[in-house]
Amino acid sequence: MSGIKEILTVIQSEQRKAVLEHEAKMILRKMGIIVPPSSLVKTKEEAIEAAGRFGYPVVMKLMSVEVLHKTDYGAVVIDLQSEEEVKSTFDDFMKRFSSVDVAGILVEKMVGKGLEMIIGTNTDPTFGPVILFGVGGVMVEAIKDVVFRLCPTTQPQALQAIEEINARVLLEGFRGMPKVNKEDLSNLIVKLSELAWKYKEYIAEMDINPIIANEDGLFPVDARIILK
Amino acid sequence: MKARLEKFFNAKSFCVVGASTTPNKPGNVVAYNFVHFFPGKTYLVNPKGGELYNNKLYKSVLEIDDSIDAACIIVPARYAPFALQECGKKGIKNIIVTTGGFSEIGDEGIKLQKQLFDIMREFEINVIGPNCLGLYSPALGYDTMFLPDSKLKRPTNGPVSIFTQSGAFGAAFIDQLSRLGSGKWVSKFISYGNASDINETDSLEYVGQDPDTRMIIIYLEDFKNGREFMQKAREISLKKPIMGIKANRTETGAKAGASHTAALSANDVIVDDLLSDAGIIRVITWDQLEDCVLVFGTQPLPLGNKVAIVTDGGGAGVMASDMVSDCGLTLAKFSADVQKKLDDTFPSFYATGNPIDITGSATAEDYRIALEAVYDDPNVDSIVNICIPVIPDLDIEEYIKITKELAKRKEKPFVTALVGGEEADYATAELLKEDLPAFESPGRAVRALGMLTGYTKYLQKHGVDPRSIKMED
Repeated sequence: MSGIKEILTVIQSEQRKAVLEHEAKMILRKMGIIVPPSSLVKTKEEAIEAAGRFGYPVVMKLMSVEVLHKTDYGAVVIDLQSEEEVKSTFDDFMKRFSSVDVAGILVEKMVGKGLEMIIGTNTDPTFGPVILFGVGGVMVEAIKDVVFRLCPTTQPQALQAIEEINARVLLEGFRGMPKVNKEDLSNLIVKLSELAWKYKEYIAEMDINPIIANEDGLFPVDARIILK
Repeated sequence: MKARLEKFFNAKSFCVVGASTTPNKPGNVVAYNFVHFFPGKTYLVNPKGGELYNNKLYKSVLEIDDSIDAACIIVPARYAPFALQECGKKGIKNIIVTTGGFSEIGDEGIKLQKQLFDIMREFEINVIGPNCLGLYSPALGYDTMFLPDSKLKRPTNGPVSIFTQSGAFGAAFIDQLSRLGSGKWVSKFISYGNASDINETDSLEYVGQDPDTRMIIIYLEDFKNGREFMQKAREISLKKPIMGIKANRTETGAKAGASHTAALSANDVIVDDLLSDAGIIRVITWDQLEDCVLVFGTQPLPLGNKVAIVTDGGGAGVMASDMVSDCGLTLAKFSADVQKKLDDTFPSFYATGNPIDITGSATAEDYRIALEAVYDDPNVDSIVNICIPVIPDLDIEEYIKITKELAKRKEKPFVTALVGGEEADYATAELLKEDLPAFESPGRAVRALGMLTGYTKYLQKHGVDPRSIKMED
């Protein structure tokens, strides 16, 4: 697992609490979690090359410590279908965020539609690191259909947690949506709980939201980690 | 490693520091309890000297010429640090401080409790309290509950152990159990108060490994060692049921954080999920706790969730059925021969499906036929026996007799709800006298079955046979 500690130490040394999405996803990869193919690029040529390599459609996201709530600032553009669209989005980002300290632009293969879930962790004052699983997406805080476990959690505990959300029927292939592979989902919960537990000196909070489940599998589409 | 509370309960010699000669004062009550019931040696300390209950009053623990395993300090808070220090010098390692007036009263008390804590560390003493009732075990003749028996009645030896953060809750619940049925309920009672040292996790560890404890009742307002508590509970709940109240549910909401997860992390939401993950049956109201003692303490666990209802009133049957589904239970479909027997025996205006409604024409004999048939049906996991005794042809004595016989078979959980006035109260009391679960509403009876069945489900999910859980050998 070497490497995660180094990434976290570097971010801390920069006096940052927010781990940028591309850094968070690098950490997830190092935990053995499959994330959509992506590449952090600095130039238009690199962006076009990466998009071509992944295949269209792609998503482009601006990585900056000054723009953490990316959607609020229009720093995420989805469903880019062509080289032309990648070029114009790149130019648009450069124009709009010219005064911002930009770490790069994340070009990522777009994940097809599916069921949106959330897995997150938090540091509870009584219990220490806890993990949350539930119905994800932008409305998580309104829907509040979530369940908690202690970190680190075991696979049987994670499987049980999955069965405890009110909307569990969504996982069974609801109205034509594909069935969610609970084995994979519980593995993901276990791995993230291990991440939060093992690096509890560094990690305060984590949101992997949404995690999209579609015909091709389970994909963490956005990842946010907040350090202590 | 041995549980720390074991050294308290296994003491062979005990000292009451602050033994009072004034009747009904806390120091007098505890001295009385130990002198009269404790099988080991009891020493009493009072700086004035003299005699109490034919025992010498030592002016200081340091005067006692014997080793002492455990002690109880019952002196005003300002003298408690000195008393603890004397006990420390004497080499007493296990001490209960019942006195209040410490961290629970603010700055002044916090300072005093800190003094206690420093002395405790210096002499390596295990401390229960301060601000608590301490320990009670009828089988061990161990009783530091400083309220006199004339006010706080003591339940006698039984399968239930209780630990509580609140002394007042403990006192009330103990008093309540003393008048529940035979009163034979309590194995160990632990009131740890401010938890300056011994806390909820030590208490759980002790009652978890105590062979005489068959079920555990808890009352908590917060956790001193929440993570370890949950981990221990997960192991123990596979061997004996743990149930109780975690109050203070509205104390803290979620703190706004940078993540959705932090925003959703309301304290009680997490507590609720972790309790359920650890196999702890959480109840919200006080009456549910007594119901827990009644059903878990007297009935076997069901092997599944299929319920049979027998009633003489349609409305009561419908309400019970509603509660069946609310509690995650299902109405049993009777096996063919049981259904045939019911259909052949009863007049056509009785409803012989489930619930079985033997109507206002019911006799005690009708109850016997219906209840025995469903009890013996392999498709039935538990039975709800509902009676509204106002009907003319029902011989209440005969009904009570039939109910007792079935409730005592203990092959399946069998609960009774008696709805009505004087006669219902009378029948309920007759059943409770023999520790048979009887309730004043169908909903409460079904809810009790729901708790039993929920525990069965938890055990089965973890590969444990519910038949392995027993209240007696």
